[in-house]
Amino acid sequence: MKIMCLIRQVPDAEARVKTANGTVDLQGSSMALDGMDEYGVEQALRMSEGGAGTVAVAVGPQRFEDAIRRTLAMGLERAIHIETDLVLDVVTTSRLLKAIALEEQPDLIFVGGQHADTDSQAMGAALSEALGWNLVTWTTELTLEGQHVTAVHDVDDGKETVELELPCVVTTQQGLNEPRYPTLPNIMKSKKKELLKKSLNDYGISSTMVRVVNQEIQQRARLQHIIDGKDAAAAAEQLIVLLHTEAKVI
Amino acid sequence: MFDYFKTLETLTSDERDIHALVREFVDAEIIPNVQGWWDEGTLPRALISRMGELGLLGSTTPEQYGGAGVSSTAYGLICYELERGDSGVRSSASVQGSLVMYPIYAYGSEAQKQKYLPELASGSLVGCFGLTESDGGSDPAAMRTRAVRDGDGYVLNGSKMWITNSPIADIAVVWAKLETDGVDVIRGFIVPRDAAGFSTPKLTHKMSLRASVTGEIVLEDVRVGADALLPGSGGLKSPLGCLTQARYGIAWGAIGALEAVYTGSLEYTKTRTTFGKPIASRQLVQDKLTWMATQHTLGLLMARQLGLHKDAGTMHYAQVSMAKRNNVRVALQGARLARELHGGNGITTEYPIIRHMLNLETVDTYEGTHDIHTLIVGRDLTGLNALE
Ligand SMILES: Cc1cc2nc3c(=O)[nH]c(=O)nc-3n(C[C@H](O)[C@H](O)[C@H](O)COP(=O)(O)OP(=O)(O)OC[C@H]3O[C@@H](n4cnc5c(N)ncnc54)[C@H](O)[C@@H]3O)c2cc1C
Repeated sequence: MKIMCLIRQVPDAEARVKTANGTVDLQGSSMALDGMDEYGVEQALRMSEGGAGTVAVAVGPQRFEDAIRRTLAMGLERAIHIETDLVLDVVTTSRLLKAIALEEQPDLIFVGGQHADTDSQAMGAALSEALGWNLVTWTTELTLEGQHVTAVHDVDDGKETVELELPCVVTTQQGLNEPRYPTLPNIMKSKKKELLKKSLNDYGISSTMVRVVNQEIQQRARLQHIIDGKDAAAAAEQLIVLLHTEAKVI
Repeated sequence: MFDYFKTLETLTSDERDIHALVREFVDAEIIPNVQGWWDEGTLPRALISRMGELGLLGSTTPEQYGGAGVSSTAYGLICYELERGDSGVRSSASVQGSLVMYPIYAYGSEAQKQKYLPELASGSLVGCFGLTESDGGSDPAAMRTRAVRDGDGYVLNGSKMWITNSPIADIAVVWAKLETDGVDVIRGFIVPRDAAGFSTPKLTHKMSLRASVTGEIVLEDVRVGADALLPGSGGLKSPLGCLTQARYGIAWGAIGALEAVYTGSLEYTKTRTTFGKPIASRQLVQDKLTWMATQHTLGLLMARQLGLHKDAGTMHYAQVSMAKRNNVRVALQGARLARELHGGNGITTEYPIIRHMLNLETVDTYEGTHDIHTLIVGRDLTGLNALE
């Protein structure tokens, strides 16, 4: 069984980010392995024997190395880092990952269900499309039986259980498992594990189709509209009107 | 981490990763639960296994004996983070690593190392360290506990007081006098829980280090085999060698507790408002915060430098005494200031402050009291002994 885990590094959920000159300034923010990717790493460790046959793949700047090391310390066998400062769009990334998957020949590829920073859910779908492989998204349970996997995934009104032939792409969701901490002995061993560095050039990619023009932090402005509640009945009436005409929620 | 002088940047990448892991573990599994343990006066046995699972117990022990083989600096960082959670939790880990695994590793036979170290490292066995007796812990050479040769083994009699983990321990490293060629020599013995005549009454009414179990060790004609003796132990320097390891960890740990009370106070004083302004805007409050932050920085730099010496094999025990003495006392004073800054909220265990403050009273006393360390450093500086 060969398993590939696509991983990214994102600002820590607790980190305060600031913007400067139209981009998010991550200087001084603490960064972490994307929690959604962590579920994939944990699942790969559970489905392999002590991490044998597993590889982490990351596409991003040099700082991603910390997140990659974390996956090795959790127990993945080795890692490939395509180091680039370019922010790649999903379609270009899927072309790149396809080339890597064809080299690596994994049976399963885990992709985080949703990027913690950009909220994008497109990566898993784009990669399965590029490879022409089966896809299951938002997976909360996964079991392997011979040449296929059974996956439970969230749908709008509940859950659905599906069977897929290998090879396939699986995107993760909270609940899939409880990711482990790296242990001290594994942290020590991880430094000796293979971390292969590659560049976009190695895969004939030199540009991206999407350019980030501006980034800003969402402001939640409040109207500070306070209704005088001395006359409760009148206040309720006024509230209903406001919810209907201004907020348009009823 | 509060790291005003960016000390973390001077660590190796292994050390940084280990630190980050332990910090995450403490935030997720210790801080949310420890107040409950403290209020109840317990430490869950499962926590020791959990620490073992992550490799936090006796982490400097070489891999061949089940340890992680990390640097002493990494061990210091582990103590820092555990004590940021709670001094009692850190104490349990210190005892297991520095006071039980270390003497077995340093003075034990190959068979003892193989038998005990892996299980202690994983937390499947809990150990305790029995040196102090009820009269005069500062003067361990005056101990009364004795071992007498009996056939091919030994018979132990005596009692030990204030022993961390003794009520939950599977084995105890007990220090006793054994007459050798007409002279009493302090030797270490590994006594298993099931030895007849061995008991560990629990100490209650503690108002400090409540998330740590403390007890006595009572030895009534306890017979152990020849293989219980730590063959490399001999003289007071053997238990003191263990204490140097543990005190080293405390020098780091206390600064972790100081971080907890400092950051708690910073947060609290910035949001607490009197007379229309946050109290942190007052000079009297800023003076206290600045003092705490400065002492944290100085203490961390001292611990860091001590770690470099320990890893290089150039650490001197008087340096350890200076660091233990200073760092614990500033942490305790910082905790008292934090208590003051929290007003009434500093009195309740709904905030972590009073717990740290009360815990640090023990840390100031055990592993050599503040004043005993004053005398150790004083003796080293002057060459004149005020201790004996
Ligand atoms: C919660 C807790 C856990 C502990 N865990 C352990 C453990 O796991 N194993 C273990 O062996 N011990 C343990 N101890 C014991 C601890 O190490 C002793 O309490 C400590 O060494 C002090 O001994 P004592 O309490 O007998 O005080 P004493 O030695 O009686 O000291 C009382 C006071 O006299 C001062 N003093 C003593 N001698 C001198 C001198 N010559 N000159 C000037 N002043 C002096 C001291 O500084 C102190 O202020 C623990 C203690 C506590 C409170």
